[in-house]
Amino acid sequence: MKTITNILLAAFVFTFAACDQQPAKIHVREGIRSDDLGNNIVTRPIVIAFSGLIGEGIEIDEAILGRNDTGFLELNINGHNRSFNTKRFRYKIEWLDANGLMVQTKTSTWLPASATGKSSFSLKAVAPRVEAVDFRMDTKKWE
Amino acid sequence: MKTKTSVIITLAGLLIAGCGSSETVNIDVVNDEGKAVMGLDYRDFNQAASEMVQSMISSGALKKPGGGRYVMTTARVTNDTMQRIDTDQLTAKIEQELMNSGQVVMTAAVGGQGAPDEMIYEMRDIRDSATGDEFKQETLAGKKTLIAPELSTSGKIMQRNIRYDNNRQQVEYYFQLRVTDLTTGLVFWQNETIIGKRGSNRSVSW
Repeated sequence: MKTITNILLAAFVFTFAACDQQPAKIHVREGIRSDDLGNNIVTRPIVIAFSGLIGEGIEIDEAILGRNDTGFLELNINGHNRSFNTKRFRYKIEWLDANGLMVQTKTSTWLPASATGKSSFSLKAVAPRVEAVDFRMDTKKWE
Repeated sequence: MKTKTSVIITLAGLLIAGCGSSETVNIDVVNDEGKAVMGLDYRDFNQAASEMVQSMISSGALKKPGGGRYVMTTARVTNDTMQRIDTDQLTAKIEQELMNSGQVVMTAAVGGQGAPDEMIYEMRDIRDSATGDEFKQETLAGKKTLIAPELSTSGKIMQRNIRYDNNRQQVEYYFQLRVTDLTTGLVFWQNETIIGKRGSNRSVSW
């Protein structure tokens, strides 16, 4: 019982040690970069298993909204994938006008996206109508 | 005896459920949870059109210097796939979105496959014929009233079939589109969207 507790504790510590790494501009993946104390041949399987166990996935860090030179609303979404596996998903962005009503457009359709394990990703969308002032976004699993 | 009855009931249930799956159902085209198919379906055209429109609009290529809207026509979009595709499935969505964006007005007077609306010329034929006398002359279109397009959209949809392994094939679809300035012949914008599918060799992609 004590051994199991120790393993779980070690996995917990190593997972959070790995999480402390901020998304960097240059991402050197495991197997290419040098191993360290929190990520090596011994700890990696435990950390990966623990990550799967707690169900890590993608997270959105920021959504930047602004008008481009042509006056259309542009949305840039930055996020990162906390899990070790590639997360494939679909997203749909709907544009809203000043009254909060949805702007009907053919571009509001489910689009594919993918984020490799432990890496950052970005999504970009442009509202094809000038009346769009806001947005809402939905995601779903890639079937 | 009881076990036998249970088995028969279960089998009957399964049979009915199996029969039920062959019934016709309407597709939820907003949130389609259906499986992907090897050929091109409406979801692929929606995706390609959405990506094309967003790329076109964000590029700023359709912003007319001095304001106003460009007059645009759709030239030929070639179907170079193994499927019978009406390329209007792609171009109609793009035209609609570009017009709604307020940057472009489409002309139905000229197009890659002739005038999209033949009535423009039929009415002019009527005007120049004896039948034209039956109409109020001021309601007939005069000469030199059509406006020529300034921009043209053209492109191609291509397909490549690749053997992936012994059991699977990979089918790649390339949607290529460009916008050309008809005065100078310069290409203002160009984009390619790739849709790839991997599936059984037994699936037919034409």
